[in-house]
Formats: sequence, C-alpha cells, structure tokens
Amino acid sequence: MRNRLLTGFVSAVCLAALAHAQTDEVRVPSDAVAGSAASIATTGSGSATLYLVGPADSSKRDVKLGEDIKLQPQELGTAGRYVAIVCAGSCQSAAFFVNPAKPVNLSFLVHPSRAPVGQSDIVSGVALPFDEFGNLVVAPVKLDFQLAEGGKTVMTHAASTENGAAWFRANSGKSAGPLQVQATMNDVTARRVVQQVASDPCSLHIKGQRSAKRIVVETEPVRDCAGNPVPDGTVVTFTGKDGKDTYTVDAPIKQGVARAQMIVAGPVVVSAASGVVMGNELRMGAQ
Amino acid sequence: MISRRNLKFDRKEKLATAVLFALLLPGYLLSADSALQVALDASKATPRAVEPLTERSIFRDYKFAWTNVAQAMETNSTVPLNGLLAGTANSTFNGAIQSQQRSGLSSRYSNQNHKVEVVFYSPEGDVMELHDTAEYDLEIFDGSKSIHQEHVALHYVVLMSPGADRWVIRQLQAVPHF
Repeated sequence: MRNRLLTGFVSAVCLAALAHAQTDEVRVPSDAVAGSAASIATTGSGSATLYLVGPADSSKRDVKLGEDIKLQPQELGTAGRYVAIVCAGSCQSAAFFVNPAKPVNLSFLVHPSRAPVGQSDIVSGVALPFDEFGNLVVAPVKLDFQLAEGGKTVMTHAASTENGAAWFRANSGKSAGPLQVQATMNDVTARRVVQQVASDPCSLHIKGQRSAKRIVVETEPVRDCAGNPVPDGTVVTFTGKDGKDTYTVDAPIKQGVARAQMIVAGPVVVSAASGVVMGNELRMGAQ
Repeated sequence: MISRRNLKFDRKEKLATAVLFALLLPGYLLSADSALQVALDASKATPRAVEPLTERSIFRDYKFAWTNVAQAMETNSTVPLNGLLAGTANSTFNGAIQSQQRSGLSSRYSNQNHKVEVVFYSPEGDVMELHDTAEYDLEIFDGSKSIHQEHVALHYVVLMSPGADRWVIRQLQAVPHF
C-alpha cells in the first residue's frame, strides 16, 4: 500500500513537471533582417529544446521557457523562411521570414564583349542587387546605367529593379574603341567594358600590278561606313575571270589591306567582295 | 504453343529489362518523389521571349533539381545536388545539409506542387528569374523522431542560368509574397 502511494506520488510529480515544462506559444520575429540579431519568445517555464531550421542552417539547443531566446546575426544570414520548433514534452512551432539586408553588391552582366559600331540595341546589361550575404534584394532598388566612350557620356538611363532585376539596351557608338558601361546603385558602382570594333566594310577599291606570269591585286585600306579600319583577319575574296577560267583567292586583311596573287598570263577581270560589299572591277591586259 | 512461349519470354524479358533499368538508374531517381508536380508558364517572360527548347529545359532541370533537393535534405547527402546548383543556391543547400548532419536533423519534402512563372529573361539569355508558388508537406526529424509536420505554401524567387549542358539554379530564395 505504501509503495503504491509512493509510486502514485512520484508519477503525479513527474506529470506535473512535464505539464509545467510545456510552452503554449512560440512568438517569432515579424520583421527579421538578414545578419541582424532577433529573438524568439516562449511562454511557460522549465527547460526545452529549440530547433531552428533555416534555408542554410539548422541548429538545436537547450533553452529556458519563458525567457527570450536570442538569435545571433550569423544564424540569420540567409534570407528566407525559418521554422522555430520548441519541444518540451510536445513540440510547438512557428515560422518566420528573414528579409534581405540593404543592397551592397551588384551583379552586372553586360553583353557582348565586342560589338560592331553603329548597331542598334546591340549592347545590353542586367543588374541584380545583392546584400552582403548574397541574398537577392527583391524590393525595388533605384540605379543608373551609364555608357561612355572616350571619357564622354553617350547614354544614361535611370532604372528601378523589378523583382530584383533591372536592365537596358543601347546602340553601339560610331567609333571603334572601348565603351565604358557602368551601373550605379547608391555608392556602389559596377563597371564593364565593351570593345567596339569596326563594322562590315563599307566599300572596296582594288588596284593591281602585272608581272611576267602573275598579277598582284590589293585593296586600298578597308574601312567601315563610319571610317573605322576593318579588323585584321576580315576576309576579302578576290575573283579573276580570264574568259575560260575563274580564279578565286580568299585573303585576310592585314594592317588594313588585303592582298592576293593570281597566276594568269592572259587578260583578266578581277573583282573583290567582303561580306555583302562588292568592290570595283579591275581589267588587266595580257603581258 | 509457340506463341504462348513467346509471350512468356516477352514478359520475362520485359521484367528483366525493367529490373535492369531500375538497377542502373542513379539512386536519386529511384527514391524521387513521384508526386512532384511542376507547371511552368513562360508566356509572360520579358524582355526576351523564352524559346520552346529553353522552356522544356527549364521545366526538366527545375523539376529535377527539386527532386534532388528533396532527396538530399532527407538523406543528408550533398551528392544528389552535384551539378544542379551553383553560386548562392549551392552554398545554401550544402550549408543546410551539413548543419542537419551536425545537429542530427533531416527534412522530408513530399507531395510537392510547383506553379512556376518566368518573370524575367535577360536580353542575351544568360539569366532567368522564375517565381515559384510551391506547396509541399514538410516533416522535420530529430534522428528518427518527427518533431514537426506542416503543409507549406511558399513563394520562391529563383534565378537560373545556363550551364554547360543544363540550366542551373543560382538562387532559390523564399519570400513572404511576390
């Protein structure tokens, strides 16, 4: 009988202790920011286990119910949804969001790396703001795009991010050379360079000389319609016709000029083409 | 009689082929959440329209990524994530799995349903932003003990970029609302 009473008493004490170490409510932060401290409030008393499950980190620790549970800044570095689970006998949970901190980095993608001059909408850029923890800042952020060549600004475009991204398109300039492209957000600037190169040849003029068995033809300096020298390596096709045969030579431009030799003894008509541009016809008589 | 034998042989052959195929499949496909649903709408993408082939790739790779994320989070293995995530998304999920290993936790994502919309596709096609309204059952375990179960409805902002042979997730960030 005595043993039974003792057993009943111990059981009652245990149950009471268990009931005591329970929380009815877990209160989580409503406006947590990445990298900032926050706290979780619980009701009840006694000890419990807190599980904090976030996008990039999960932790487990012993806590005292009824006391504020401090969350360190490094526990909340990743923006997203966190679940706080407090277990003392049974488990109670609550979820909260951590928002990105202020933007301090710009991811700035600019294309292309080389662009022919005088082309419409050929340069484009996308800027994405991130906080110091690599979280995408989805709230609207104002920024400015600026294009400059030769130290002179040729385009500015004020934009605001939408869903975390802002973008622009622009024409290339008229002169070959570097095009400085920059995106500025508050005091953060990201810079990229697009190399503007000459466009397709605008016209071709050829001249030639005859020796005993061959002719040597060459172009005058090849330029695009804005007067920029066409890049070396651009291929010019020379075609010679002597009435019976057709001779074709592909020659790359070197230092602005393309040059070819043809072994032809009789009279010949030579023409040149590059891309969609045809040059003049050159008639050369027999030796 | 001959036809019956052939029929039997066909059945055995099919069974053997199926077993062989299942054995050859990687582990992540075997334990994939078969209930995972993805619906992708690319019709509102700006400023560039999404090409049909790209849309198919995004659908395939995004679904595959979630299948593998779920498997990785449940088994606490980073192996299923290889090649599917890059940048911040990669470090986020690797960190999540490593911390789960440290604290003895694991998470089960089941009955996933993703309604995905492409909201931004860059002019040169090098980055795409998706909005995913996802629903799934989340269960968190401490060891083998279930400590949390809930049906979650979440919004994800997703950045994807083209990799060598697939689209990879660079950012997967839950937000309270779009």
